[in-house]
Amino acid sequence: MRKQRPSQSMPPKIDGEQQESQNNPSQSTNTVPQRQPNRKKRRQHVLRAGLAVVAGRAAGAISRRLHLGGGTSVVGIVAQRIYPEIIEHLATQIEYGTVIVTGTNGKTTTSGFIATILRDSGLRVWHNREGSNLMRGVASLFVIRAQPNGQMRRSGKRAISILEIDEATIPQIVKAIEPRVAVFNNLFRDQLDRYGEVDSIISHWRKAISQMPATTTLVLNADDPSIAHLATGFSGKVLYYGIDDPSLDLQKQRGDSEQYQVSDARTCSNCGHEYRYDLRFYSHIGHYRCTSCELQRPQPDIRATQVQLDSFDRHRITVEHTGQQHEIIVPLPGLYNVYNALAAITAAQAVNTDWQSIITGIEQSKPAFGRGELIQAGDRTIRLLLAKNPTGFNEVLRTVFSEGIARHVLFILNDNIADGQDVSWIWDVDFERAVGHTQSLVVSGTRALDLALRLKYAGIPQKEMTIIPYMPLKGEWGTHQTRQQRGANKKQKKRQTLADPEQLTSQIANSYGLKSALDTALQQTPIGETLFIVPTYTGLLTVHRELEQRGLTPHFWEGKEV
Amino acid sequence: MSDGFTQPLTLTLGHLYPDQLNLYGDRGNILTLRRRCQLRGIELRIVGLGIGDALAPDEYDILFIGGGQDKEQAPVAQDLHEMKGIGLWAAIEDDMPVLAVCGGFQLLAHYYRPAEGPDMQGLGVFDAWTIHKGARTARCIGNIAISWNGQTLVGFENHGGRTYLGTAKPLGKVLKGYGNNAEDSTEGAIYRNAYGTYLHGSLLPKNPHFADYLIKLALQRKYRSDFDTGQEKPEEFNGHIHIDQMPVDDSRQLESTTDNIASSLLPLDDLLEWEAHASVLVRLGLRNEATAVLTAQRMRKG
Repeated sequence: MRKQRPSQSMPPKIDGEQQESQNNPSQSTNTVPQRQPNRKKRRQHVLRAGLAVVAGRAAGAISRRLHLGGGTSVVGIVAQRIYPEIIEHLATQIEYGTVIVTGTNGKTTTSGFIATILRDSGLRVWHNREGSNLMRGVASLFVIRAQPNGQMRRSGKRAISILEIDEATIPQIVKAIEPRVAVFNNLFRDQLDRYGEVDSIISHWRKAISQMPATTTLVLNADDPSIAHLATGFSGKVLYYGIDDPSLDLQKQRGDSEQYQVSDARTCSNCGHEYRYDLRFYSHIGHYRCTSCELQRPQPDIRATQVQLDSFDRHRITVEHTGQQHEIIVPLPGLYNVYNALAAITAAQAVNTDWQSIITGIEQSKPAFGRGELIQAGDRTIRLLLAKNPTGFNEVLRTVFSEGIARHVLFILNDNIADGQDVSWIWDVDFERAVGHTQSLVVSGTRALDLALRLKYAGIPQKEMTIIPYMPLKGEWGTHQTRQQRGANKKQKKRQTLADPEQLTSQIANSYGLKSALDTALQQTPIGETLFIVPTYTGLLTVHRELEQRGLTPHFWEGKEV
Repeated sequence: MSDGFTQPLTLTLGHLYPDQLNLYGDRGNILTLRRRCQLRGIELRIVGLGIGDALAPDEYDILFIGGGQDKEQAPVAQDLHEMKGIGLWAAIEDDMPVLAVCGGFQLLAHYYRPAEGPDMQGLGVFDAWTIHKGARTARCIGNIAISWNGQTLVGFENHGGRTYLGTAKPLGKVLKGYGNNAEDSTEGAIYRNAYGTYLHGSLLPKNPHFADYLIKLALQRKYRSDFDTGQEKPEEFNGHIHIDQMPVDDSRQLESTTDNIASSLLPLDDLLEWEAHASVLVRLGLRNEATAVLTAQRMRKG
């Protein structure tokens, strides 16, 4: 349900001296004070910005024309080349400012929630798409919405930008943009070969926060000890969110299988002693306090007092804020998505959005790209659940296997740069949970063998998996296969082997590549049932592209917003 | 194939600092040792040794120490000195097999010299030292393969410090990757039965021969101390154990002839392990080595 828009959505004002818009019911006191650079300088900048906009958009158009891809990031790259401060220049024109969202897991879903809520409240929302969360992606987002005169469309009136930002890009973005709201959702080990250790991310974030102006509102997860204490020394406003439902404690939920949880925040950031948990929901997320000093979980401003699983992919939560209770349906599977929803609710509160918009916004949200996305493939259903690090994977497994129903699963493990080239993290994932709970299981990706080995050591018999690697592993192996050869391989069709003594790789299905894996997994899924696809990041991109080509889902860059 | 032992063999693994040093899937090494023991009817007890716990060398048969974040390593280094140093030294001098990966490897050498700040003292088990040359020197990150006893070991390395060996023997020679310091092609270090290495990924799952080698060392040490451990010729224990030398699936025989145990661990079906191993070799462009590995497997299968 869309709320009625204010009658004059574009107040007839031109530049700077923006006054509070009287007509806006929910954001009446919340426009961002704009910076006023000196006029002469500004004119030069406008020229350059205009040039950057034109060049960037031209490059984007050419790239799309040549089918080089979505043509989104090239826009930003070219524009930044011409005018490195393009982000700064355009961001200041956005009337309602910028909300940035970061964290290891849940950036895309959280920013999607916020975008839906704020759109529902009547704002024009500019939201960077999944995957374009580096500087160039942000530059693209702005440039696409700017005019050749270096001004944002409609001078950025009634606009707000929601930016999901890569963890490591936070310091750069904070230099370019003074965020109105900064959401820090969680911090887990992820791609250690790319991001470095968890501690180094924390110190980058602390530094970035110290550079934020006091007009920024920080939105922090009270239940993640790495996040909750980022605000130390910050002079602006801080809002915390958290879960206060003791029934979610792992101890109480312990099933039959041994649970393994990786903790990435074990010791107090203040004194170095270990935390003690009164409640632990997953990984290091819960109600903690230091065993030595005063430090403990802050009391959240927005708290979920009840979290109930409504069905596989719906949570019913009761959210309490300043004594008022609201019941909200979170239409996504997984406890982590409850946190994402709480983060979005709190961010929306920080920009004074009314509760009606918050509730309808959350309830009408669709799963973001590959994050619980549901795709109809003929008579079968596919659910895509991205899992890119140990904690994310653990929570996805917990979600998939929560109901004790044996599932049809396709795991895809890739080790491309965007996935992280080090796959040792799979040994920190609790695959033991899947034992005995799979009806059919296909393992694929560039590191299919590593994952199969992990599953074997978890106790899943090899005969219960179909391993479909990325390429054949043969004696004469090595010369890269051409497309035709790969096609020929496919035509050979899958024999689920062990039969052929000539074949060195006797345990592996006689077919290769993600397409075959997808076909096999779908074949093994009976009509009317759901196939759960759990890929790493580039695996998700490939699977999605494949599903797009089969006409099952729209191209992901064909967003609705542009 | 693993049943039938009336008195099962038992080994106790001391896992040092499981909470602090567990950064790179080190759990995989433990799971591998446990499963490979289990499949042979050997009970592997795992005892976590955290900060403040003493290490009594006679309680363990094998020790593992993993890698961690910089923040975690300082208290660990202190504890290693104050609480576990003597016990660990005694164990190592008594030929207990020890596997130290990444940060654990650094902690068992003389010292770790960070780019800034004071040196972190290690135990000095390996005559080696580690220097971090500052943020401008690239980290050593990537897949790696080394030669070890005429076979290959594969893994993933990710370390900022460069380790230099004094008199310590390297674990192996780098075939592809960086190794200890990206300069001299050495990887890891050996002192008696203690092995330090930068290979994770995890190391043992994809290197079943190395996992079994460690198990054998532990069994030999525990069940027949006068057994010729063959440390000089470890290839006897690695890789292809011929079918005719294998113990029949007869518990009596195993029970009575303990000296048989170590030299003839029951072979397991490791095809998947070796395929995963070979796939890393192929990724590194080591096609001949990959072919050799797969051919050996085929021959073993008959």
